[in-house]
Amino acid sequence: MDLAMLQNFFDLNADVIQVALTGTLRGGLYALMAVGLALVFGVMNICHFAHGEFYVIGAYAAYFAHVVFGLDPILSIASAAMLSFLAGAVAEKIFFLPLRRRSKNEWVINAFLLTAGLSVALQSLFKLIWGVRYRGITQYWKTTFEVLPGMAVAADRIVALGIALGAIFLLWLFLQKTRLGRAIRAVSQDERGAMLVGIDLDQIYMLTFALGSMLAGLGGASLLSLTPAYPFAGNKPLISSWFVVTIVGLGNVSGAVLGGFIVGIFESVAYFALGQGWQDVASLGMLILLLLFKPTGLFGTQIKSVWER
Amino acid sequence: MERKVTSPLLTARLWLSSLGLSPEILACILGLALVPAFVREAYIVRLLAVSLLFGALAMAFDFTGGFINAVNFGFAGFVGLGAYTSALITVRLGVNPWIGLIAAALVTGLVGMFTGALTLPLRGIYVSLMSWFVGMALMALANAMVDLTRGARGLIVPPLFESASTVTHLYFLLGLTVLLYIGLRLIIRSRVGLAFRAIGQNYDAARASGVNPTLYKVLNFTLSSAAAGLLGGYYGHFVGILTPDLMDTWHTMEVMALAYIGGAGSLLGGVFAAFLFIPLFDSLKSLMEYRLIIYGLSLVLIMIFYPAGLAGLYQVVKTKLEFRKRKP
Repeated sequence: MDLAMLQNFFDLNADVIQVALTGTLRGGLYALMAVGLALVFGVMNICHFAHGEFYVIGAYAAYFAHVVFGLDPILSIASAAMLSFLAGAVAEKIFFLPLRRRSKNEWVINAFLLTAGLSVALQSLFKLIWGVRYRGITQYWKTTFEVLPGMAVAADRIVALGIALGAIFLLWLFLQKTRLGRAIRAVSQDERGAMLVGIDLDQIYMLTFALGSMLAGLGGASLLSLTPAYPFAGNKPLISSWFVVTIVGLGNVSGAVLGGFIVGIFESVAYFALGQGWQDVASLGMLILLLLFKPTGLFGTQIKSVWER
Repeated sequence: MERKVTSPLLTARLWLSSLGLSPEILACILGLALVPAFVREAYIVRLLAVSLLFGALAMAFDFTGGFINAVNFGFAGFVGLGAYTSALITVRLGVNPWIGLIAAALVTGLVGMFTGALTLPLRGIYVSLMSWFVGMALMALANAMVDLTRGARGLIVPPLFESASTVTHLYFLLGLTVLLYIGLRLIIRSRVGLAFRAIGQNYDAARASGVNPTLYKVLNFTLSSAAAGLLGGYYGHFVGILTPDLMDTWHTMEVMALAYIGGAGSLLGGVFAAFLFIPLFDSLKSLMEYRLIIYGLSLVLIMIFYPAGLAGLYQVVKTKLEFRKRKP
């Protein structure tokens, strides 16, 4: 195939490629958020509805680090991740630890309601502290990459995708290769058994929640140039990542990565084909139909116990 | 020991309690009904009417959340569906608003049935997720069909009564809430209600003892959604303008917080919570900003420390008082 033919091919399929590219870039974020959700759900049995708020914490942290304190991009994103890790750990200590002490049979529903309350309270708190003003940046890095002939993508987006994939890979390594990671997996498989072999459950829960929150915060921080920080910025990523988690089957961590890209591409196709308003209708309609025919999700899930409650 | 009931007063009391009306509740109803006779300010009457509406919504919410232990997280979507159904039928087809209200209840009940049926093979938290998605789909639809709903620009809804005085609204809402309460309570006290509670407390045990969970879950969802649709339809005519914002999840949160602060499975707890919180927020404008923080934190604290809510507290106090009375 000579160069002219290749160019011709790209010209003909410019829209298709554009849509696929946007979808993939968007999918990275969804995968990142969804992995956090799946982790928290799989290990702690929490249907986490305040996940978006940790995304916002990450976004605010990165904004203040980069714009107010003038840190360089990578340091800003790293400090945002650290801060959301800490916020997750604190939230677990303050809210979920006492709930776990008191609530036994009703845990799933009570924890879900708690996160719902937490989400609303945090959103209003952000609004109270920082107002509804958008706090964003135009870009972290001033360059653009020409990924394909005639198709330039801002460096921020590529880096954000890279960060998302890197973070997921590191998490996987951590879960597979380290003692702590194995302990987390042990707890997700059998809580009582894990306790019997001497794993400190409270510590594992705190770590899991903090890790999940960190993934969300990382998403918020790395995409700051795309979606600015404001109190309700977490809603859209929250909905989309729930979408992913439901599609692939709740608690399926590895499925969530693939699911993130599926949803990202689907949304960008729907947006291209139907426009702003109908995009949401299409996504939700697809989800409802999917659940109608395959209620356990595309890839199923090992975590059956939660359905029994 | 069988005791023959002779006193007519006692007969009346027994009959009332079979409807779920204790003397305390009757006193509250009477008190509310008498307010317009003494209070001339339309503002206060309106506040009471709004509290009643929210209380009734919390009651409809609790009918699902408190009994079959499944949270309808798309509740606001269902309320909005009722509101838009009634409003659109009235505005676009020129039908009498009262028929619109009935249509609102029917349509929303049907969608509720559909949602319940969708979650058939699944349990617990899946119902919440699914209803959340359905609620959001409804909101997205209302946003997308600009030609029909006028979207965010708002749909003007004609009033229900020719002379729109707030007192009429208060009385109508009072009647509606009492009827809704009696109806829901009768269901709860019947065999069907027993099945609801059995499913809510132990799904497998309920199934093992011959309760068909699917059937009852769908029935419960249908009834609760129909009530939400009816109240939503009324809301539209009451407020006079509708935007898709009504269906946003944080409205669900508001109703949910009221229902759980009131006490899950108490029906009336949510009504009392509404009368406690809504006038409080409205009278102290400075609190309005903190409203959602207070709702959210209350929900968090209730879940951690006192899941029985206000209704549980009331029961404890009542038992203590009765115990003291019995002591010589």
